[in-house]
Amino acid sequence: MKEKDIDKILQEIKIPEPDEVVKRATIKASVGEFNRQKESLQKNIKGIDTEGRLIGRIKLFLNFLGGFAMRKSYVIAGGATAFVAILVVSLTYLSVELNRVPQVLNVPVEQDGAVVDSGIAEEPTSGPGAQYQINRERARQYALAEKLASGPRGTTSSGGAAGMHQEAYDYSYSEPQGGGGISYYKSAVPPSPSVGMGSSIHSMIAEAPMNHGGSSYSTEGYAGDDLRSYENQETGRDQFDTIDTNPVKQVKEDPVSTFSIDVDTASYAFVRRQINYGVLPQENAVRIEEMINYFDYDYVVPEDRTRPFQPTIAVYPTPWNPDSKLLHIGIKGYDIVPEEKPGSNLVFLIDVSGSMDDQDKLPLLKNSFRLLVNSLDEEDTVAIVVYAGAAGTVLEPTSVKEKGKILAAIDQMQAGGSTAGGEGIQKAYDLAEANFKKDGVNRIILATDGDFNVGIYDDEELKSYIDRKRKSGIFLSVLGFGQGNYNDALMQKLAQNGNGNASYIDNLNEARKVLVDEAGSTLFTIARDVKLQIEFNPKLIAEYRLIGYESRMLKREDFNNDKVDAGDIGSGHTVTAIYEIIPVGSKGKLVDDLRYGSKEKEGAESELSNSEYAFLKIRYKLPDSEKSELITTPVSKVNEYTQLAQVPADVRFAASVAAFGQVLRGGTYTDQFTYDDIIKLAESTVGDDKFGYRHEFLGLVRLAKAIE
Amino acid sequence: MENQDDIELISLARGGDSVAFEELVERNYMFVYKISYKWTGKKEDAEDITQNVFMKLAGSIQTFRESSSFQTWLYRITINSAKDFAKKNARIRKKEMAFSDQQNIKEGSTSEEPSIAELIQYMITKLPHKLKETALLVFSEGMSHKEAAVVLDCAEKTVSWRVFQVKKKLKKHLESDGVKL
Repeated sequence: MKEKDIDKILQEIKIPEPDEVVKRATIKASVGEFNRQKESLQKNIKGIDTEGRLIGRIKLFLNFLGGFAMRKSYVIAGGATAFVAILVVSLTYLSVELNRVPQVLNVPVEQDGAVVDSGIAEEPTSGPGAQYQINRERARQYALAEKLASGPRGTTSSGGAAGMHQEAYDYSYSEPQGGGGISYYKSAVPPSPSVGMGSSIHSMIAEAPMNHGGSSYSTEGYAGDDLRSYENQETGRDQFDTIDTNPVKQVKEDPVSTFSIDVDTASYAFVRRQINYGVLPQENAVRIEEMINYFDYDYVVPEDRTRPFQPTIAVYPTPWNPDSKLLHIGIKGYDIVPEEKPGSNLVFLIDVSGSMDDQDKLPLLKNSFRLLVNSLDEEDTVAIVVYAGAAGTVLEPTSVKEKGKILAAIDQMQAGGSTAGGEGIQKAYDLAEANFKKDGVNRIILATDGDFNVGIYDDEELKSYIDRKRKSGIFLSVLGFGQGNYNDALMQKLAQNGNGNASYIDNLNEARKVLVDEAGSTLFTIARDVKLQIEFNPKLIAEYRLIGYESRMLKREDFNNDKVDAGDIGSGHTVTAIYEIIPVGSKGKLVDDLRYGSKEKEGAESELSNSEYAFLKIRYKLPDSEKSELITTPVSKVNEYTQLAQVPADVRFAASVAAFGQVLRGGTYTDQFTYDDIIKLAESTVGDDKFGYRHEFLGLVRLAKAIE
Repeated sequence: MENQDDIELISLARGGDSVAFEELVERNYMFVYKISYKWTGKKEDAEDITQNVFMKLAGSIQTFRESSSFQTWLYRITINSAKDFAKKNARIRKKEMAFSDQQNIKEGSTSEEPSIAELIQYMITKLPHKLKETALLVFSEGMSHKEAAVVLDCAEKTVSWRVFQVKKKLKKHLESDGVKL
């Protein structure tokens, strides 16, 4: 069959003339939307000047309830009272809508149907208006049905549309079609008081003018109990990927373990937040490697960037198991000395949709970005794109020399606007490309609570878009805010595909840690696609298991394949991996030997096989290279400590974090190890703890013990 | 198809001129409607998609950059909207199916034998999205592989590969329906 044939055949298809009435309605509706968006964009750029517009806003809200019910838009301006009124109205509305849906689904609305619904105080319309309403009504049903059918966004695969019909024609097709195989779990977030950080933000940032003009969320102004419980009820659906704890492997069967590094820290911050709320986190929120890597360790620092890191290795008795040992592998990235710091071209892509209007979201986000801007150099540039109803550039790329201008732009952002898609992410990449700094840092920093209405609708498509852009040298970092609607699963994937890192910002202190103290590691990548592979010596080691890194496991053959993507490491970053290993002959073995197992070949009998536990290989690419480099190190008895007390404090501290993470995840392998044991182990290892992170960790373990 | 008038209207609309925007919608209505129709094969759905496209356009015209072609941009928004629509639609249908078991899957099919053209058109609407958007641009819109690659933001080779896949699938299914081309 030739293309020409299909061309011709398809041109035979007659396209029916569209309905003129519908056409007019569409034109009318889109012009209306155009005017509204214009206003909303201006609002975002200029801010609101007086309270006097309040009445107008409420009017606007009532109008929009009629026409654009599912969008939470415009409303945020005004005083605290307005917000209460709005929530009450939308609650009522929502309940009406929800009651109504089953009938709607049973009886699809006809295009020429006269009556659409009676549940809502909508103005009766006729003529073009009625048609328009019908069309909108249909859209609204879809939105609702989507909400009902799918729950959290992102759970359905993009192939869904075709799926229904593929029964008739079986098209097998190999390109990935959406997030199949990913399962999300709802978190059990209890109704809890609003984060009490409003006050701390104010005390920490002296110049923080959080509210200006008439914007409403004046600190704790609206925090009535009713409101909070409404919100938790409505939004308690943080999404996490399922984590299956890495199993114990037999060295004889599976001597090689391969994984990608993970420098994210989001999990620790989320866990901390949950525990501080008085609940233990759900198991899937606990990624042990991210908890360990949250802390800075004093590993050997490499001397120059051509060999950007050097492993620190220790083998020592397992604190929670007398019959096994821990193998600790730590690497620290080369730390960029300030005069070598490349210039930065940063684009902030900021979610200003209605859902961001919580004290721990947009206001915290603004303060976080202020901190970052204040830490940048004069030569760096910053641009700001917001997305919500309209994606718009709030600030064209601006040199940090004009810091006032940047800070003013940050001040003026406010939450509000519908959840309809814009072109936010493309816009951000456009700006980053236009202002591309060769030899510099080109990065988009996406800040959101996890709702990605950024113009590309399909999660898979979004990921592949970001993946393509990554190859053009623009990286993506993701900062998560808020809880209740937090889509951790998607944020992780975006950051991983965009060569970035995902962090969770639960308070300003965390913002400072991520954006200022660790700005180097967050912003300056020193090595890409860092993979670790470790081969265990069957003569000495019987079994092993990797603690954490479940989502980062790689196939053995992927190690040498430079096409396979892996994690990146930033300037000064530390990464730690811990294996629990069971020596040959230990009674701690968990897997029985095979009765008919082949006798292992006693090949290469040498001194090596008696003194080396394992052999470590690290592959990485320098930032501007597509070819990987290799670093290898044997793990031998030289690295071993026979007494726990001799082990360096940093290494022991990492073990205590690993133990805590495992206990939180159910403690399958930690046996009788209790919170008290963890505290005991960690207590002696806090060191000088400049920023107090380790003390905070101890506090968390104590709190977890109390909760349990 | 893109001409000076469109460009002028866009630049006026970006400045906030709603009359210019109205004119722009009017001028491009059929263009969007036709693509949408080719995607869904249903007039009502095409009209709904078209409306969604212009609603989106209303929100994003102010941020449109002249560096890319308006038509390419419109193609993209339309295809994205159509996909989005299909996704939502599928969920609704699933719900509907749950209520009433017997739903004719081949909607729009009549008792008469469909023509080859209808059959092909139908098969194309049932392709997976990535093949479908490629088929639509290359066959129905008559774009070159290179032009389609620009709209789809992928490599020209990818388009060629997908076109090959589409032809293979169409051929297989037409033959199984006893049609030879």
